[in-house]
This record gives sequence, C-alpha cells and structure tokens, in this order.
Amino acid sequence: MRSTFHSIETAKRALFTQQAAIQTTGQNIANANTVGYSRQTVNMQATRPIEAIGMTHSTIPGQLGTGVEFTSITRIRDSFLDNQYRNQSQDQGKWSVQADTLDKLEAIFNEPNDTGIRTLFDNYWKGWSDLAKDPENVTARKVLRENAIALTDSINLASKQLSDMNRDLTDNIGVKASQINTLVGNIANLNYEISKIAAYGDNPNDLMDQRDVLTDQLSKIVNITVTNTAQGYNINMGGTALVTGDQAITVDAAGLEGAFGTDLTSGELYGMLQSRDYYVKDYQKQLDTLANSLANGKFTVTVPAGSVLPDGITLDGKTYTGSDRTLKDPLTVTVNGVNELHRMGYPLSNPPTAGVDFFVSSDGGPITAANLKLNPVIAASPDAIATSMRTDGTPEQVVPGNNTLALLMANLKDTKISFSNPDGTTPLIASGTIDDFYRSLIGQLGVQSQDAQRQVDNQDSLLAQIDERRQSVSGVSLDEEMSDLIKYQHAYNAAARVMTTFDDMLDKIIAMVR
Amino acid sequence: MTARVTQSMMHGQMIRNLNRNYQQMSVLQDQLSTGRKINKPSDDPVGITYALRYRSELSMNDQYQRNITEATSAVDHVDTVLDQINDLYSRVKELTVRGVSDSSPAEARNAIGQELDGIYKQLVTLGNDQVSGKYIFNGQKTTTAPYEMATAGTKDTDTADVVLPLAPGVDIATNISGNEVFGSSTDSDNMFKLVKQIRDAMNANDPVTAGQAMNQLDSRLNKFLGVRSEIGARANRIELLDNRNQALTDTLNGLSGKTEDADIAQTIMDLKTKENVYQAALSTGARIIQPSLVDFLK
Repeated sequence: MRSTFHSIETAKRALFTQQAAIQTTGQNIANANTVGYSRQTVNMQATRPIEAIGMTHSTIPGQLGTGVEFTSITRIRDSFLDNQYRNQSQDQGKWSVQADTLDKLEAIFNEPNDTGIRTLFDNYWKGWSDLAKDPENVTARKVLRENAIALTDSINLASKQLSDMNRDLTDNIGVKASQINTLVGNIANLNYEISKIAAYGDNPNDLMDQRDVLTDQLSKIVNITVTNTAQGYNINMGGTALVTGDQAITVDAAGLEGAFGTDLTSGELYGMLQSRDYYVKDYQKQLDTLANSLANGKFTVTVPAGSVLPDGITLDGKTYTGSDRTLKDPLTVTVNGVNELHRMGYPLSNPPTAGVDFFVSSDGGPITAANLKLNPVIAASPDAIATSMRTDGTPEQVVPGNNTLALLMANLKDTKISFSNPDGTTPLIASGTIDDFYRSLIGQLGVQSQDAQRQVDNQDSLLAQIDERRQSVSGVSLDEEMSDLIKYQHAYNAAARVMTTFDDMLDKIIAMVR
Repeated sequence: MTARVTQSMMHGQMIRNLNRNYQQMSVLQDQLSTGRKINKPSDDPVGITYALRYRSELSMNDQYQRNITEATSAVDHVDTVLDQINDLYSRVKELTVRGVSDSSPAEARNAIGQELDGIYKQLVTLGNDQVSGKYIFNGQKTTTAPYEMATAGTKDTDTADVVLPLAPGVDIATNISGNEVFGSSTDSDNMFKLVKQIRDAMNANDPVTAGQAMNQLDSRLNKFLGVRSEIGARANRIELLDNRNQALTDTLNGLSGKTEDADIAQTIMDLKTKENVYQAALSTGARIIQPSLVDFLK
C-alpha cells in the first residue's frame, strides 16, 4: 500500500533535482570563458524504490519508484590530455625562450647590414689599402685610425650587449625561481583543501580546476611529472619532489642551475639556462676569438726582398741584426697577428723605430671582444701607424714611399689566419680568413635561430591541438548548455505539473467528504 | 575530430588562423619595404653566408676600382712626362746630327750648345717631376728630389717599385725609376752626361768629340723606347684589369641581387594572395562566431 502523499514527495524530489541541474547549467554558462574551467554535470539517479512493508511479500506489483536524486556533481575532464598538454607545454616553454634569445642575438649582430661588424672590417682593410696608395700622407692615416676605432667600438658594443643579455637571463632565472615557489606553494595549499573536502565525499570541482591551471602554468616553466594520490597532486621535477601532498619545497636559482641537465630537462627555465650558458656564452666566446685572432692570430706572410727589418727583431726563432736585417731574398715567416706584423715595420719618424702593437687590451689582460682597442699611441697620433719596411742611408732613414707593410696589412683580408681563443681553448674554426670566421658565426646563428623558430611553431601547433581536444572534452558549449537548460526546465515544469495534478486529486478527495 | 565543438575552440582556432595569416603578411611586407628577402640570418642561413661574401667582395672590388683609378692616373702621368722627354731626346739627336756635320759654322754650333744647355736644364726639371708632392722618378724615396742641376749625371735614383694591389694577388708597379729613363751614374749612355758632353763639345766647336757621343745617344734612345713601350704595356694591363674588375662587379651585383633581393613582383603577388586569405578568414570568422542557440530562445 502506498502513501497518499507519495507522489507529492516524488514530484518534490524531481523539482529539487532539476533545479540543481539548472543551477549547474547556470554555473557552466557563467564560466564559459573561465580559464581552466571544466564543465560540470549533475549525476542523477533514481532513488531507492519501495516495496510495501509487510510480514509477507505483497501481491501488488512491486518496486514502486520514489523519484530522483543527484548523487554527485562532477567535472568532465580527461587527465590523459592534461598529461599530454603538460609534456608539450614544457617543450614549448623551452623552445620559445631559446627562439627569443636567438632572435635577440640576431639583432645584436644585425646582419646583413651596411653598418654591421662585417662592413666595419671591410672599411678597416680598405683603410690599409688606401694608406698603401699614399703612405707619405697623414690623411690616409687618419682615415685608417678612425676605421680601426669604429671597428673596435662595434666589437666592444656587441660584447657588451652579450654581457647585458647574460645578466638579463640570470635575473630572469631568479624571477622564474620565485614564480615556481609561488606556484608550488599554491598547489600544496589546494592539495590540502581538496583532500579535506574530498574526505566528506564532496567534489571540490572548482578548486581542482584551479589546481590544474596552476599545474599547467608550472609545466611551462619546468619539466614536471604529476601523480594524483589521495593526498592530492605529487609533482616531481625529474628526481626532485616539488610538491608532496600539502608540502611544497622552496627552490632557488643556484639549486636550479645545479639541476640543469639532470633533473631539469625542459621548460622555460631550462631554455633560459641553455640560452645563457650555451648560446650567449658561445657567441661571446666566438667574438672574443675573433678579436684576439685579429690582434694575435698566427699567419704566414712573405716579406719582399730589399726590406729592412727592425734591429734585434726575432721572427720564427731567428734574431735579425746587423747586415742580416736587409733581406736579400723574400722572407716567408709566421707572424703573430696584426700586432707582430705592425712591429716589423716603421712609422715615418726618424731615426727609424719599429712599430708598436696595433691593438691592445684596455685592461691589460688577454685581448677579448670586450677590451679590444686601438693602441692609445696610435689613437693619439696616426703618425705612429707603420707603413714602411725599408730604411736607407747613414744615418739610417725610413724610406717613406715604401708601402710594403700597408700592403701586407691590406692583404690580410684574404689571408688565412689561425684562430686562437683568449682562454686557450680550441676555437670553432682552426684556420680561415677573418671574413670566413665571421660568416660562419652568422651562418651558425641563422641555422640555430631558424631551427628554434621551427620548433616553437611545431610546439605551438601541438599545444593548440591538445588544448583543442581538452576544450572539446571539458569546454563549455553554450548550445549544449542551452539545450540542457530547456531540457531541465521542461522537466521542472512537468514535475510541477505532476504536483498540481496531485493537488487537484487530493482536492477532489477532500471535497468528496465535505 | 571529436564530436563536441565548443565556442571557445572555434574562437581560439579563429584567432590562431588570423594570427598566422597576419604573421605571413608581416614577413612579406618586411620584404617589400626593405626590398630584400634576407633581413636576418634565420631568414636563410645558407643564403646569408653567400650574401655576406658577395657584399665583402663587392666592397673589395670597390677598393680595387679606386686603386685602378689611382694607378691609371699615375701611369698616365708618367707617360705624359716620358712624352715630353721623348721630344727633348729627339731634339738632342737632331741638334747633334746638325752640329757634327762639317758644314756647320762655329756660331751655329754655339747656338746649338746654348739650346742643349736649355734642354739639359729641362731634362733635370722633368727628372724631378712631382705629382701631389711626390717625386715620380725616385722609386720609393718619393720625398727627396733625385737630381740636382749641376750633378744630375752622377746621381742614381732609387729603383724600388711603388706597387698597388689592383686585383686579388695582382700587384702592379705604377712608377719607373730615373735610372731606367736617363741611365744610371755608371752607364756610359747616361743622358745627362751625354747632353752635357755634346753641349761642351759644341761650345768648344769640337764636332769630333760630339760625334763620338752619337753612338751612346742612339743606345740611350733605344733603351728609352723600351721604357716607353713598357709603360704603354703596363697601361694596357691596368685597363684590362679595369674592364675585368667592372665585369666582376656586375656579376657580383647580379649574384648578390639573386641571393638577397626580394622578387618584387612575386612578393606583391604573394602579399595580395595572403591579403585575400586574410579577408576570407575574417569573413569566415564573422560567420562562424555565429549567434548561438541563446539568440534563438526567447
């Protein structure tokens, strides 16, 4: 026997449940554009049916329905896609930082351009060639001096820009470290809250969404693996645990640098360390090699017969003095860079004095791109530029019209020199012209930058694709929500109708007894 | 594709596509505004190494061209001076022939002697000829005068070459030494000595001594012809290098253009196509970001 008011109770349950569904639809629509929001769904279930209570089994056909209830409100999300997204996101972060760095490096070298280092090298060689045409003249010397200063200035500037970039990257690494600390701290807090709520059997959907958003953000910065446990997300970076339940560790820049290449293998942070310690450092070193080899790189040169070497000069282990100084045959010797070559000739002043080092370092150390500069003696007086390799007469006088040294200098443009790193390590190219070296540097930069850009494009589209699939599962579709709304609204209306019908029926019964 | 398509998916996709189109248009616009298809190394890493090489070579060719101009003017100047010297040599020969003939009276020989004295002075002046302050017949010692009026016949000039690089590995001397033009101090056919000798003989009315100098004079004239043809040959060689250098510059310009320059017609066409695609993407977007079901429910 069923209760008189049974159906009213059934209708009431339906009203409540449909209302909850409409409420959730409202929540979904409200969050249609919320980042990381997963659509929620109300899981409905028919309530436990009743059987007439009695000592024996009733003869009335049994299992009378009692209405509906909702058992849970869950978010719709595919954790497999989350993992995929985080795996691609870390690589996207890594490559986008590297591509960005390489793009800046391209801007520093600024080729092809009419004011780049290559053009200034050309002008420097042309300065010597012009001086060879007119070695007696001071104008050509002044032009050469200005060209040499412009060259060293631009190499110094490029080196400074690289140092600045190095420093910027170091600063950014510190910023990223504190970002990681904030993120892992928040994730640990959310872990705590979520596990507390979950203990009551509730679904903290919105907190879980927030936690996923933070985890996504973290995955862009470093490589992470996420394990979902009863205590919440356990997040590891390689072998280092960042979050364990409600506990988060604090990272610092030094610790992260130590993990580079071992636990830290991807993400923006990896990209920054890689950019700083590989790309920027490498180009700094190559520029140092260029500057050092210009001043000191070994090359062979043939000094024509009739030249007179400065008294007491030692070339290839042989010291020239007295009558040895006047070369009867052309002399082919190995020379240590522009500097030694310049010491083999004479400026125009009398009595003849050997030339000074052409380039010096501004801080006294080995010559690098940062400290390369024109010898202050030459900068102060262009007359100190040596052009002649011949002296004559008694007392000895410089032959001013001799342009041998200027010609040898101008020819260095096409001379293969041995490259030497200021720190004594092996250079990238052992031997070649200065132009060859610079061209290969630019070529390498181009290849690296192009490759990084391609990787970023790839990662971008992969990430977009995965995100799209995630959106397809978890995203809010307004059409769907609207049709749900209609569905639930009609269900609600119908349940209300059932209620009215019973009201009418009861009215009839009560009116009967009047 | 999965069954569910949400508004944010379409929105995201739309934005991405528009961005991509925009990026491509920006690349093309960059090419159009600079006229170059290589604007940074990553645009074409292989091309850029060639582009840089061509630029260096063009710049060097420019320098060689300037050296060639300089060499041409130096050699031309030497040739002009040699031409004047040639006139003087012919005149010396003519006067000597006239003076040694038996029929010449003593006064005529005196007059010849006087003219020869003038020629001697002229020769020394030409021997000390300067271009922009540099003595042209004194080898590399361009700042000292090679000859003095009284002792020109006993002086030796510097014989070293003043060379200029006119092409990679091609160094050409632009000067000729006074020793080659006038003879060295030890040569018996030193022109200064001969002119002085003939002048003195004419003044002394001594055609026999003057006649003895005739052979030496011929020998000097022959050598001088050799020098002139050498300068002529050198001028030809420089002209050849000039032509070659200009041809090379044209070739390099062509190569550089092919490597670096954007094909303007092609780029404009590409840009137009991309613009159309962009327009299409925009209007498709307007259609896709449709009013949703919300708008139809009242």
